[in-house]
Amino acid sequence: MVKLTIDEREITVEEGATILDAAKLAGIKIPTLCYHKRLNPIGSCRMCVVEIEGLPNPMTACTTPVAEGIKVVTNSERLQRMRRETLKLMLVNHPLDCPVCDKGGECSLQDLVYEFEIETAEYRAEKKEREAIYATPLIRYWPDRCIMCLRCVAACRDIKALGAIDIVGSGFGAGISPVNKEKCESCGECIKVCPTGALTENLSRYKGRTWMVNRVKTTCAYCGCGCQLELNVMNNRVIGITTKDDDEVNRGSLCVKGRFGYEFIGSEERLTKPLIKRDGKFHEAAWDEALDLVAERLTAIKTAAGSDAIAGLSSARCTNEENYLMQKFLRAVIGTNNIDHCARL
Amino acid sequence: MTDVFFSSWGGEIVDNRGKEPENYEKIKGIALPSQFAGKEDIRALIGWYGIVLRSRDVNIVDLCRAYITAVQSESCGKCFTCRVGTMVLADTLTKICRGNGDEGDIDALVRVAEVIREGSKCNLGQTGPIPLLDAVKLFAEDFKRAVQDKKPILEGNYHYKLTAPCMDACPIHLDIPRYVESIKEGKFEESLNTIVEKLPLPGVVGRVCVRPCEMHCRRTILDEPISIKYLKRFVADDNLKKKKKVSFKQTPSEKTGKVAIIGAGPAGLACAYHLALKGHTVTIYERFGEPGGMAAMGIPDYRLPRNILGFEVEQIQKMGVAIKYNTVVGKDIKLSDIEKESEAIFIGIGAQASTAMGVEGEDKGYGGFIPGIEYLQKINVGVDPYPEGKKVVVVGGGNVAIDCVRSSFRIGKEDVNLVYRRTKREMPADHVEIKDAEEENVTFHYLTNPKKILTREGMVIGVECIRMELGEPDESGRRRPVPVEGSEFVIDCDILVPAIGQAIDLGLLEGKSGDNVKTTRKSTLVVDEFTMQTSNPRIFSAGDCVTGPSALINACAGGKRAAVNIDCFINGKRLEATDDDYFDRLFNDVKVFDPREKIGFLGGRKMLHLPMLPPEERKQTFAEVEKGYHFLEAKAEADRCLRCYRVGMIAV
Repeated sequence: MVKLTIDEREITVEEGATILDAAKLAGIKIPTLCYHKRLNPIGSCRMCVVEIEGLPNPMTACTTPVAEGIKVVTNSERLQRMRRETLKLMLVNHPLDCPVCDKGGECSLQDLVYEFEIETAEYRAEKKEREAIYATPLIRYWPDRCIMCLRCVAACRDIKALGAIDIVGSGFGAGISPVNKEKCESCGECIKVCPTGALTENLSRYKGRTWMVNRVKTTCAYCGCGCQLELNVMNNRVIGITTKDDDEVNRGSLCVKGRFGYEFIGSEERLTKPLIKRDGKFHEAAWDEALDLVAERLTAIKTAAGSDAIAGLSSARCTNEENYLMQKFLRAVIGTNNIDHCARL
Repeated sequence: MTDVFFSSWGGEIVDNRGKEPENYEKIKGIALPSQFAGKEDIRALIGWYGIVLRSRDVNIVDLCRAYITAVQSESCGKCFTCRVGTMVLADTLTKICRGNGDEGDIDALVRVAEVIREGSKCNLGQTGPIPLLDAVKLFAEDFKRAVQDKKPILEGNYHYKLTAPCMDACPIHLDIPRYVESIKEGKFEESLNTIVEKLPLPGVVGRVCVRPCEMHCRRTILDEPISIKYLKRFVADDNLKKKKKVSFKQTPSEKTGKVAIIGAGPAGLACAYHLALKGHTVTIYERFGEPGGMAAMGIPDYRLPRNILGFEVEQIQKMGVAIKYNTVVGKDIKLSDIEKESEAIFIGIGAQASTAMGVEGEDKGYGGFIPGIEYLQKINVGVDPYPEGKKVVVVGGGNVAIDCVRSSFRIGKEDVNLVYRRTKREMPADHVEIKDAEEENVTFHYLTNPKKILTREGMVIGVECIRMELGEPDESGRRRPVPVEGSEFVIDCDILVPAIGQAIDLGLLEGKSGDNVKTTRKSTLVVDEFTMQTSNPRIFSAGDCVTGPSALINACAGGKRAAVNIDCFINGKRLEATDDDYFDRLFNDVKVFDPREKIGFLGGRKMLHLPMLPPEERKQTFAEVEKGYHFLEAKAEADRCLRCYRVGMIAV
């Protein structure tokens, strides 16, 4: 254990913890932007600078491991000046299109600019166009909104172990680019961690603001992993999926299906009534009529050819309970062990 | 007498403005050469520690503009302050230089420069604004005038180079901060690719390098250097473990030709690799039955396992390089015959002969008297050089001597001694190796020199030594050992291994009527220091046969340099030094690393050393002594890097 002082409070933390970890433990808030608890410290935003007694240079709390006996100051005139100047630099050529930005209302940059009361974008630089090449049909990159915090790069590499995107170019012209495009699975982990509106979902643009939706917690039904997610519901329609970092099982991560495969819920093409095929064509039917027909045909096959002439194939998309009932039905009612599941195929 | 009228280098201000040149105060801590590339006068220097001005014609505002623009173009983009801040500075300075400056611009410059200096992630941003802040403060009038006059300033002529203390110290100039950062980010393959752009033997160098980079690591000022060597080894091992093919970027030159290389040592291999990258057809002639030269024959397996060297040579062979083993040039084939078939020749024969000790009886061919290099060569091909002997005395204080004593235990010798005429402090061998040898129980006899070989029936039975004491310093700066009269004593032994130095066997050269390659009195080949060309325009050379016995990485750097110039030669281009070469020279005077620098960061994170086999176990076997890093250890070690990139620029 290591003992240190932060803002005149004595704190004891485990060796290897960072100053930011220690401050969090003590309930001391240090402003951050690129820091994300699921990622290795990035250190790009320089907001979490702190002063250590006896050292002339400030250091970033997120990347500096604690040391015995150090005295840390998290707030001073100098640190506030540095943070304000850094924020002003972040606003250089950052479009102030918050009214039409999907991230408006839950944007870390917006929050910090508000907190530090920065009213104008004071500094300017000649604009260098960045190409919006990083995009899949599901993910949209807004290069002008990107402040290059590099969370997306870290998430793709450290959480998903893909490394599909990375920083390319140098200086002000540097941008995020799909350096290994073939590795991108459109999982949306990058969107999940993006603190601004630089990466947005292409499906639900302009469908609703963050404060207008009702978030309903549920379990993803695509496979048996049990990932936790929130359906973003507005006017009884699902318009997006979000996740929480603290949720068990997936801790905020999803695959491409879990994150983007929600449009079927409100699809026009979805069946709402049973169909019976007559003379090669499907006709709508009442539930009783359809169920009677199924029961009749199954009984006939079982009588004529035995139970093993029937097999059941159930779906990964069903819940555990539904799958349980399916096998129970095949085994106890039909009398066969011919039961399988699409996830095995 | 100095011709510099202003300097803020290292924070020491010398201001000779308003003084006559004969009254100029001398600047401290920096020696600014007068010329760049031997043709352009250096009028000013601007860089990581400040500004040095020689010519009053240099416009300070434009100098700052050019410098900050260079810093911006080298910014990696991984932190806000440097990426955006230097752009704001560069644009503002450009605006002022075009005559469009506004009143508030100078205040804004200072505010932004301060936050870049204090808040940037790496040393590029931390050092970039320093000269600008100096200039705005000490040349306030010039800046004010530039803003008020609203007249465009004529752009000056500048050259710049990005460097770092470690990169500058590395003979082959590996981009160390870049490959270390790749490791930190878990991009091991990318890290290896950065290394092999210049160095084809990462696993070898990652084990045996003398690491000048670590001696110049800025982190040393805080706690300890980062282990650049072990990190290099880690990415090479990781690749070997995953059995991945290293991806070489082969970009053939317009004209390609046949090149012969004499010697498959580090210099020859590096040269072959870089020639193959350029599409040339390369044949290496090697006198032994395996590749590696001194890396294979001189370095024991417990430091450099055979399979590591083998794998890396295999990669070079896969690029189309042919190696003819067991072929001694000058004996099996004549150099002039090779010359007829090749457009260019590279000689990398190393320094494979042993220097004589000047001791009575060493030329008599006594049984048990074996020169160090020969002793190691035999052991390295699995032969005990003298099975009859059990008690060994090795003479010398270099790495070869240490390799001899440590190898002796491993072939079953029981009593192993090292005799060195100075003290441990003066020993040229790697201090880590000395420590390892001490742990393995080598008996060190310091301040001792052999005088006479004692024999019985043509066999060594001992060596008579004399005690030494240190006198006045000699030309090498070390105190000269002087014998103490009457202090003779005898060390019993049956094997005596002199390892006091290596010499070059020039048997392959054919003299004035043949190749006409000039040599020095020390039997080294004379080459142009930049192009590695010998007095015969078609013959190039590098490595120990040019420098005398030296570090492996120097041989690799020389081999690479020769390859670049052989490529130019084949393509009919002029062979000359590049701007990079001249910057090397400039930085040698200007010093990229200042050990007196104060780094105001938190230290206390020591180097992560490699786990080692225990001494009693390791001295019985040739198995590798040091185990490599686990990938988490490698990432943690890489995280200690301070990324000391910096830009140096001169006005000409």
